Formats: sequence, structure tokens, C-alpha cells
Amino acid sequence: MARSVGMIGIRRVQLAGFLLLVAFALAACSGNKGSTHNYQWNITFQSIFSPNGSIINGLWLTIGISIVAQILGVVLGIFAALGKMSRVWPFRIIANLYIWVFRGTPLILQLTMLYYAPLITHLLTWPVFSIGPFNFLDSAVTVGCMIMGVNEGAYMAEIVRAGIMAVDPGQTEAAKSLGMTYRQTMSRIVLPQAARVIIPPLGNEYNNMIKNTSLLYVLSVYELFTTFDNYAITTFDYFEYFIACIFWYLLLTTIWGVVQAWIERRFSKGTGQTSAGLSWRERLLSRGKPEDIAVLGGH
Amino acid sequence: MTAPSAISSNLLGAIGGVPRPEADVVVDARDVNKWFGRLHVLRDVSIQVKRQEVVVVIGPSGSGKTTFIRCINHLEKIQSGRIFVNGHLIGYRETGGGTKLVEDTEKNVARQRQEIGMVFQRFNLFPHMTALENIIEAPIHVRGISRDEAVVMGRALLERVGLAAKEQVYPNQLSGGQQQRIAIARALAMKPALMLFDEPTSALDPEMIGEVLEVMKELAREGMTMIVVSHEMGFAREVANRVVMMDDGVVVEEGTPDQVFSAPTQERTKAFLSKIL
Repeated sequence: MARSVGMIGIRRVQLAGFLLLVAFALAACSGNKGSTHNYQWNITFQSIFSPNGSIINGLWLTIGISIVAQILGVVLGIFAALGKMSRVWPFRIIANLYIWVFRGTPLILQLTMLYYAPLITHLLTWPVFSIGPFNFLDSAVTVGCMIMGVNEGAYMAEIVRAGIMAVDPGQTEAAKSLGMTYRQTMSRIVLPQAARVIIPPLGNEYNNMIKNTSLLYVLSVYELFTTFDNYAITTFDYFEYFIACIFWYLLLTTIWGVVQAWIERRFSKGTGQTSAGLSWRERLLSRGKPEDIAVLGGH
Repeated sequence: MTAPSAISSNLLGAIGGVPRPEADVVVDARDVNKWFGRLHVLRDVSIQVKRQEVVVVIGPSGSGKTTFIRCINHLEKIQSGRIFVNGHLIGYRETGGGTKLVEDTEKNVARQRQEIGMVFQRFNLFPHMTALENIIEAPIHVRGISRDEAVVMGRALLERVGLAAKEQVYPNQLSGGQQQRIAIARALAMKPALMLFDEPTSALDPEMIGEVLEVMKELAREGMTMIVVSHEMGFAREVANRVVMMDDGVVVEEGTPDQVFSAPTQERTKAFLSKIL
């Protein structure tokens, strides 16, 4: 029990340290020692507690783009993983090439090049997508979303592959011996079991995805970061707006953390590994290491 | 554990009677050769198994007996020879006037495997499915029977292997013996013409071996065609029609249990039996 207090203690020290940093940042621009800036709390508060339409819009764009891109990434990742493990060599080559290129180059480069290069060279014009009320979906949003998904697929491929390899080969043999085809074996036996291994890193990937959508800045997509950046550079109230922006990102990633814990618990059924899914409380209080979980679990 | 008494005497009734193989000779392996790299693991193995026959394959570890039965449902490839089940060539198509073997399509191999039940040393139950779901999975998605029909059959099978109460339980909450009995039920649910058992009791605690052997004995009594790789000499003596002794990838000797156990003709058989009996 002394151990668990220690662990929680460390978390508290971290929190205190973070708050101290924030305090320093605020003090640094609070008017003394040559700074002329007066921190305008009302801007931060308003952006958090009564966000205007463009902030809400940016929030929804960030959520929407990250979800669509992540789903696309998972689907591509599964196919790329199966391609990489395929007995058919052209599939292996295509999958390896895809993973190699998209994992080996910066996302910001992929976004800028794939979006602008065809436009500049008049190779093609990206169509404007407007589906019903979602007419804000201009081409940059859609194309940016696709590129993010394709990029994500390259990372997911390795995660899915690790998940598939973690499944006991005996499972495949049992499925085959019951007369299942490769497709049935994968979709009904192997992938559901691989999901248990895939989901924790997938949670990390989506957390990254939420934050990486801010790179759509280069395509002038007014998601959360671009929206706040636009306010900041036009008003020079950098601290005021960006601290509110930090709040929104932390809110999104925190909510996702809770959702992730719930999903992991659901997928641990039949495995006997209670530690496979942490409760939100365990997740918040522990650093997620097995010994911490054991302590928190009271074993 | 008093489980054996719970095993019903009408196991195959649960799947509508003894599946009747099309051919009198259910398994016909001819001159099968297999290499793992440079290791020659099966050397001209020829074995025939007739309808309703129970053949127990014995031999020291590394003798190729497990590899051999894995070839019968094409979990392992062979390099030469032919294996027929129910008169159908398994895993390959003949080309060049019967001189060359070309691996069959994945779909055809899958279809052939539907007729061959297999029980593994390590059970290999699907851990993300309950006992009942394990049993009805393949009948529904491979055989294409309705879910209701599959559930009725699955429950009947569970009852006959003495595990009716475990219907909704996941494999990790079951003992090894219980898991293996469900694995047998799972294989039976496909109504196979032939059952292969790959050391089905080797991974079990001693007190659980009996309950699994009891199910297998019952199956044999009811007329299932079976090939069993096993070290259980008591089982072989009691239910086997024939015992096949393998060593170093070769069939050393075969005969009735009495012949092989009481009057082995080969030195290698004598040496092996003296170690385990």
C-alpha cells in the first residue's frame, strides 16, 4: 500500500510541476520586469466556457477528421499487414513499399506535396465535397483527411502485424482443420484475438491523430489549432488563445483516454487478463505499469 | 472428478448418427515422403484405415507420427506420395499424367478438411468464444446451417460430453480435460467422416486424462473412424483395432494391439515398449 501512495505521489508532483510552469508563464507576462503585456483572462475564459462558432467548428473538424482518418488508417493497416504477411510476393512488395514510403517521410511533407503538387501542376483539381449541411467540407478537409488516413495506415500495418503474430498459430490450425477458408480464419478467429493486442497501441495512435490533425494548418484547414492560431496572430494575444487551445486538446485526449479504457476492458473478455483493461480510475492514478495495477488492484 | 460417468452413451446421436464415409477405405496413404529442410521426417509411409477402424499410432518423439496425421488434413505439405481420404486426393492435384503434384486451391483444401475432424494436443479452443460458440462456429459459417439448428446440435453435444452446464463459459475458465472434451465436440459438430487425434491427453494433468479417454472410447464404440497418436497404451489395448509403430519416419511395425504389445517382432518396437510400459 505504501507503494501505491508513492505512485500517486509521483503523479501529484507532476501535476504540481505543471501548474508551477503555467504560473511562471503567466507571471512572465503579467506586466512587471519590462513586459508590457496584461494577461486578459476573459479571452481565455470565453474561448473555453462560451466558445464562438468558429472554435466550435474547429473542434468538430478536429474530431471528425481524426475519426475518419483513423478508421481509414485501421482499414488500410489491416490490408497492409495481411499484404506484408502474404504468401503472394507482389502483395508483399506493394505493402512493404507503402509502409516504407509513408513511415519514412514527414507527414507535413506528404500533406503539402500530395495536396498542392497536383494543383500547381494542373494535373487535377480537387473536387469540392459538400454533403447536405456539411458544406464546410472543402477539398482541403477531405483530401487532408485522406492523406492523414493513408499515412496512419502505414503505422497501423506494423501494429496489426504484431497483433496477428501474437495470436497462437494453433488458432489458425484449429480454424483450418474445421474447414474455414483464409478469409474466415482471419476475420472470425485471428483478427478478433489480435484486436486485444492491437487496441492499446491503437489508442495511442488515435491520441496522436487528434493532435496531428493540427498539421492540416498547412492546407489552411480551420481545425482547432488553425482557428486559435488565426486569432492569436491577428490579436497578438498568444498566451490567452493558446492556453484555451491547450484546454480543448487536453479535453479531447482525456475523453479519449476514458473511452480507450472502456474499450480495452470490453476486449479482454475470455482472456483472464484483468489488467488488459484498466478502469478510468486506474488509468488516471497509475502510470499503467503492471506493478502499479497490481498495487491498485489490491493484490 | 467423476466426469466420465456423465458422458452419454450416445455421442454420435447428437450429430444424427455415425457419419458414413463414402469409401470402405477412409484413409489411404501411399509412399508419403516429407522433408523439413534437409530432415527427412516421413519415409515412404503407407497406411490404410478402413471404415469404423480405430488406429493408434505410437512411437518415440520425433518419429514423425504427429507430422503424419497433420499431413492427412494438409496442415503439412508432403513432397511425394499420395494421401486419399474417402477416395479424394488430399491437398493436391495430379498433373503430367499423374506424375506431378500441384497444390490444390485454398478453397478446395478447406472443403476437404470439413470431412476430417482434428483434436490437438493443446486443445486450441477459440478463447474469445464461449464453449457453445466454439462448437457452433464452423457448422454455421462453414457448413452454412442455421443458427438455431447449430445451437440444438451444440447443446446436445455438450450434454453428451458431460458439459451441458458450461455452455456459456469461456475456455480459460475450464480445466484442460473440459477444454479437450469441448474440442472433441467442436470437431464432431462438423459431422466428419474421420477423426484425427494428435496426442489428445499429453497436455493434461493425470487426473483429467480419464475423462477425455472416456469420450474417445465412446466414440470408437459408436463406430467413428479414428486415427489416434497417443502414448496411452491402455487406451490402445482397449479400443484400437490396429496399432502402428513409427520410428525415424518409418512405419516399423503394425498389427493388432495384442500382436504389437505382447509379441513385437521388431527390435525397435521392443526397445520402445520396454521404455514406456
